[in-house]
Amino acid sequence: MMSGARGRTRQASKPIPGQAALGRFIASREGVLLVTLLVLGVAIDLGSHGALWYRANVTSFLVDFAITAIPATGMTIVILTGGIDVSTGSMLGLIAALGGKLLAAGWGLAVAVPAFLLLGALFGLVNAIIIIEGAVPPIVATLGTLSIYRMLVFIVLGSAWLTDIPPVLTKIFVTTRLGPLPVATLLALAVMAGFAIFLRFFRAGRHIYALGNNEEAARLAGLDVLRIKRASYVLIGIFTGLAALLNLGESPLVQTSTGSGFVLTVIAAVVLGGTELSGGRGTILGTLFGTLIVQLVQDGVVLLHIQPFWSGVLLGLIILVSVGLSHAWHRPAEAA
Amino acid sequence: MGGIGIDRSRLLLLIVFLGVALGGYALIDLQILAAGNLTSMAVFAVEVGILALGQTFVICGGDGGVDLSVGAIAALSQVLLGLVLKDRLPWELGVLAALCAGAVMGLANGLAYAVLRIPSIIVTLATMFAFYGLALVFTGGINIDLTASPPSFLAIGQGSVIGLPFQVLLIYLPVFLACAYLQLFTAFGRGLYLTGTNDLAARLAGIGVNRIRCLTFVIAGVLAALAGVVSAARLGTARPDASETGNLLSIAIVVLGGADIFGGDGSVVGSVLATMVIAVVDYGLSYNNFNPIYQAGVIGVILITSVMAQNLVRFRARQRS
Repeated sequence: MMSGARGRTRQASKPIPGQAALGRFIASREGVLLVTLLVLGVAIDLGSHGALWYRANVTSFLVDFAITAIPATGMTIVILTGGIDVSTGSMLGLIAALGGKLLAAGWGLAVAVPAFLLLGALFGLVNAIIIIEGAVPPIVATLGTLSIYRMLVFIVLGSAWLTDIPPVLTKIFVTTRLGPLPVATLLALAVMAGFAIFLRFFRAGRHIYALGNNEEAARLAGLDVLRIKRASYVLIGIFTGLAALLNLGESPLVQTSTGSGFVLTVIAAVVLGGTELSGGRGTILGTLFGTLIVQLVQDGVVLLHIQPFWSGVLLGLIILVSVGLSHAWHRPAEAA
Repeated sequence: MGGIGIDRSRLLLLIVFLGVALGGYALIDLQILAAGNLTSMAVFAVEVGILALGQTFVICGGDGGVDLSVGAIAALSQVLLGLVLKDRLPWELGVLAALCAGAVMGLANGLAYAVLRIPSIIVTLATMFAFYGLALVFTGGINIDLTASPPSFLAIGQGSVIGLPFQVLLIYLPVFLACAYLQLFTAFGRGLYLTGTNDLAARLAGIGVNRIRCLTFVIAGVLAALAGVVSAARLGTARPDASETGNLLSIAIVVLGGADIFGGDGSVVGSVLATMVIAVVDYGLSYNNFNPIYQAGVIGVILITSVMAQNLVRFRARQRS
């Protein structure tokens, strides 16, 4: 138990002796997701007669991906510690409203960008304080702040939409590309890569798994459990601030409903990626695939001229089938 | 646990909340205590209150049990009802279809939890997407107008009986009594409490833990469909996006009513009182011309402070987060 803090924690699947690394990967959760992703991609490619690859579609897909992937990385970490944050969508709306006001008032990016991130950190800290100091279960605490942040969006915006947001964000994050990828997407990939490495190879990263696997043991092993939790909520706040920034780049408009429903997409991406809500199990790579699948389903429904209403049905089914399959696969013995 | 399944400090807290809310509004304008206003509050409370009663059983069952799909079930059932009415079939048939559909959706949730062993929060997150999606597919995203429906159907949401709204007296009250009976006087209720408190012990005592939890989802499904029927009759329309706030609001009500989100400690009486608190707060805000969105914020504050107050009262900090 103690070695869990330092050594390796449970892997997504047990290594099978005598099989190549590739075989092991394909049998793992991430492998299954990759195959799902490829099948979906090919199906949509064939069904849409190549419309999937039109430049406008690729760009909007990649930017949508980034907006979901960044908070999803934070959500993965929060869920790994055994917590959850359902306030993300309202928080995104609130940060977009406050930050958008700054931008509309003519403040430059040098002020606005740090402001977005700091606001995120602040709201994340509010969640953390309620959860840790108030000893309120995370789902209840963030359910509460979900409503409170949404109310604040209304107070900030009044009844008007915020539309006079300068196009500079779009220019930086969406139209500027390095190679084939918009800056927003590169940013998301960098965040994911950084935290994948952090979780796997850094002592503090391993501590997160240790905490999620067994909080009491982690405490006894001398980990500052509360600090890790606090940091994870602040982190998802900062990431939500970043996502709000990218969101304004994609559509320079804030309305009172901005971000509502967003958290469910984020949680869907994380859960689809194999992170378990009980904590301690999951990877950023899984979340990457989960996010891609969620976005591909939403994009594919449009491209295949299916009524867009089917995207919710498909997403729901994919979550059920994928999580159901992995449970049947990895824990057959626990059935009792 | 007291005689009605709610602990005394929580009962007191809810009554204080209710008194403060009503008293506070009465200080602003005594008219709020007029009969007409009180019945309007009750009408608002019925729909979300029914959702919350179903949610109470699911949360009581423990294992992180929670049903995020109740609002979606209400919407899809309401849409099915609307389709039946649009075809000029008897409205009783539509109501029956809606309730059966609610039971089937609840059963789907329950089976995915019990048989596929997927945590219920994931199951119902997925089915919430799916049920709302199907409601959109069936309607093409357009509200179904029901104002031309038989008056006997619309009376469910608009009529009154001996001066009280139909749905308060003839739907909510019986449903509340039935739920209270179920919780307090049946083997199911006792088994549910044991299951939520300690499912291993319950299992060893021979209780069909999975069957009980599965049943809670079916109950939540049927009640959600009922809420959908009532709101369709009240508004004279079937909306594919009905009850979108109901998913989370019903959970907030149950927690405010004293349930432990980790199971065991919920009560039907607590949920009903909490529904009344929410209804008073909400109605008072709109009565005093506050934007309805303040309701959401105030509910958030109440939710968080009530749990903190409970922690203080119990004098033990739960670090189970």
